[in-house]
Amino acid sequence: MACVWRLSALCGARGGRALFLRTPVVRPAQLSAFLQDQPAPGWCGIQHIHLSPSHHSGSKAASLHWTGERVVSVLLLGLLPAAYLNPSSAVDYSLAAVLSLHSHWGLGQVVTDYVHNDTMQKTAKAGLLALSALTFAGLCYFNYHDVGICKAVAMLWKL
Amino acid sequence: MERFWNKNTGSNRPLSPHITIYSWSLPMAMSIGHRGTGVALSAGVSLFGLSALLLPGNFESHLELVKSLSLGPVLIHSAKFALAFPLTYHTWNGVRHLMWDLGKGLKIPQLTQSGVAVLVLSVLSSLGLAAM
Repeated sequence: MACVWRLSALCGARGGRALFLRTPVVRPAQLSAFLQDQPAPGWCGIQHIHLSPSHHSGSKAASLHWTGERVVSVLLLGLLPAAYLNPSSAVDYSLAAVLSLHSHWGLGQVVTDYVHNDTMQKTAKAGLLALSALTFAGLCYFNYHDVGICKAVAMLWKL
Repeated sequence: MERFWNKNTGSNRPLSPHITIYSWSLPMAMSIGHRGTGVALSAGVSLFGLSALLLPGNFESHLELVKSLSLGPVLIHSAKFALAFPLTYHTWNGVRHLMWDLGKGLKIPQLTQSGVAVLVLSVLSSLGLAAM
């Protein structure tokens, strides 16, 4: 609440119009999480405060997807030194899975950004799913029937 | 959103110049670089996976084929650098993205500092990997 009062006091001092807040009820805990930098003194304008949608009845799917993307990114980051220091079949298959998923989700964002037509987007997403599935299958096949990802990189680098 | 795009494409309005006229900044260029390297790396991984399924011969036979080309050491070194750089850039810039997701380093001067740090780290790690 302290933050809210400060903002309106700033505006009031300069004779500005009332501050326009998107939501009528503002919770301090959520507010402080999103207002990391205080506005400069004398600043008078509209600050759109985006609160976490914890009270919305909408699905949490998008939020979970976002978190999933970050978790997979961190996993992949950890697998890189593991592949170098401790190459093994377990690392090979983990790499195949995490690489395919990270790549699939990343390309999915590219499709969402550039393909706007509804039917085109459905087709593109379907094609992407097929590509990612085939890539994962190919990597697993390579791990099983050939030398495996870690060994392959080592062999390539010895060239 | 679909209504917006349908109406927009249907009205055949001309598009104002945007990326052709807007002044490029480091964060802008590095952002598209992150996307570009990501797409390139994905293409490489998919090519590798699909080749394993579709092409005849095992990995060793393909390596023998490359060895038979008798490429000079300079070419091999450069090729290793060219392979390593997209990976190192995307990895280091990826860490930068994860820091942003934690809410750290979002001030404008910090953006430039972390950006330059990523570029320097990428070049150094690529050189290091190419030398191995």
